[in-house]
Amino acid sequence: MTDATDTATGTDPSGRAEPAAGDEPVVDLADVTKTYEGAVAVEALSTVSLSLAPGSYTAIMGPSGSGKSTLLNLVGGLDTPTEGVVRIDGQDIAALSDAERARARGRTVGFVFQTFNLMPRLTAVENVALPLVFQGVDRGERRERAADLLSRVGLGDRLDHRPSELSGGQRQRVAIARALAADPALLLADEPTGNVDTETGAQIMDLFAELHEAGNTILLVTHERRIAEHAERIVHFRDGVIEDVEAL
Amino acid sequence: MDLSETLRISVRSLRSHRLRAALTVIGIVIGIAAVVTFATFGASLKADVVSEIEGSSANEVYLVATEADEGGFGGAGQPVFTEYDLSQLRDIAGVQRVVPRGIVPVSAVSHDNETIAQRQVTATNATAFDTATFESGRPFENGASEAVVNRPAAQLFPGNLSTGDTLSITRSSGDRVNVTVVGVVNGTGGQLPFSSFTEQPRVFVPADPFYQSVVESPNAVGNQRVYSQVTVVTDPADTTATQERVREYFASPRSDAAQLVPDGFEVSAQTNADLVDSIERIVTRLTRFVTGIAVIALIVGAVGIANIMLVSVTERTREIGIMKAVGARSRDVMELFLAEAVLLGALGAVIGVPLGIAGGWVATRYAEIPLELAPGWFAAAVAVGVLTGVVAGLYPAWRAARVDPIDALRYE
Repeated sequence: MTDATDTATGTDPSGRAEPAAGDEPVVDLADVTKTYEGAVAVEALSTVSLSLAPGSYTAIMGPSGSGKSTLLNLVGGLDTPTEGVVRIDGQDIAALSDAERARARGRTVGFVFQTFNLMPRLTAVENVALPLVFQGVDRGERRERAADLLSRVGLGDRLDHRPSELSGGQRQRVAIARALAADPALLLADEPTGNVDTETGAQIMDLFAELHEAGNTILLVTHERRIAEHAERIVHFRDGVIEDVEAL
Repeated sequence: MDLSETLRISVRSLRSHRLRAALTVIGIVIGIAAVVTFATFGASLKADVVSEIEGSSANEVYLVATEADEGGFGGAGQPVFTEYDLSQLRDIAGVQRVVPRGIVPVSAVSHDNETIAQRQVTATNATAFDTATFESGRPFENGASEAVVNRPAAQLFPGNLSTGDTLSITRSSGDRVNVTVVGVVNGTGGQLPFSSFTEQPRVFVPADPFYQSVVESPNAVGNQRVYSQVTVVTDPADTTATQERVREYFASPRSDAAQLVPDGFEVSAQTNADLVDSIERIVTRLTRFVTGIAVIALIVGAVGIANIMLVSVTERTREIGIMKAVGARSRDVMELFLAEAVLLGALGAVIGVPLGIAGGWVATRYAEIPLELAPGWFAAAVAVGVLTGVVAGLYPAWRAARVDPIDALRYE
């Protein structure tokens, strides 16, 4: 549904929260292989096929070196496959220029990182609004939407705090709000509870559950089974291939 | 992303490193201020010199015999212009007056019991004076024991000299002559341009009988007075053509000067405009040279910007990765860093220009010339500051734009 050059669609808040009626997957990997060239070529992913339906909640598990990070980079549109096709929101990411991929990334994927990755000098509301800056949304609208999202994650009273003035759990909630800012097709969470205590982790996972309820498509990468169990299914990776898909 | 947002983010990141940004800006400030100071001083110097010269009449042609490469105003010149030449000049079409000047060396000039140290008096003729310049009295008469003094000279004596007073002049040979002051002037026509630079005390006496430098005239018979400086006052409507005719005269052996001029010397006949031109050329060249040196300071400042921006790129690798992850194109990142560098450069220029003007003011005060601003240079300085930012920021910004978000996000 998305034309890569059309920046307007991604910012329409009414558009994507509902799962589109019965149709194309949000993310579709078809026979994807990723090889890193070097002194010795390393095949990080070997002929992987994976599809994420709209509104689905998938967890990826696997030991380090299993290809989780590579998958994340491909699904997040940060990297392109060596072989095979990666489609995000119907768009073949290898067919896009770097600039187009950057824009598409901002519009279709919302990242949540283990280390939060907030801009240290920007306030909470500015951090949340940052993706919209690159989508060309005007300032008033950005702030309004960012403030809205921060209220939704329970930080309505922390709008003008810097990350250094927030707790780990609050920072992660800011990061989640930022991931939602451009109303993306996919929420991509990489060990989102890895840097917070158990209780805060539970709150974060509750928030993801709410977002799933609201119709967001979520891909969660973790090495903790307890966390992965929040999803509808767990995809186990080992040595660059899918070892098992476990429905919950 | 829009420009205002780019600027806002850039300002924010500069403010987070105030000291570092300030030190970097100082580099540019020094460079720009140095350029503006020298440019301002040069412009002031030029304006001052030109106004001094243009203060004298535009219809005067100055004759002097100087070394061939000195351009006609290098020194006092050689005594080559004879009375014969002067009379021939008076016959040239367009010539209104011919005013010779010679130097009479003296050991003392006194009035009543007051003696002033004066090494020379100026011998000329009655036509030297413009009647409008007389504060009192009249020109001397040729052949009479009379003198005209200028105001600074009159003021050397207690109670000031006035017309009717008697001056006693002691020649360097020891002879003493008495002259009557018949006029006080506040300026004279027919002075060499540089003589008005500083209003020195001057005493003017008739060449006849006081001027005694003589030479045997090649074209006429017998010894004649010979002068080193002559001013030809021309018809203002015909100065250029008259100047040309005067030159032709001195180029031919019909003139005494052409035959008396020593080897390696030449007679030059220049108007104010000629002098203004050559002085302007010299001052401009000098200004450019000094300003060029100041530009080196600016280059050092630019290196400072490049350096600090590279550090900044390294420090903010992770931030660049974040921005790229949330949809920033390489171009957006490049713009951000470039904007920062340009802000540093522009800030340096904005502070540097007034500082440079202040520096120029101090320099002109020190040199005792009026301040003359060169607005073109200020605009150029700001442009250069911005350009410096662009040039210095280009490579760091390019490096920032090329940061791989995958590596950057893993960067701790």
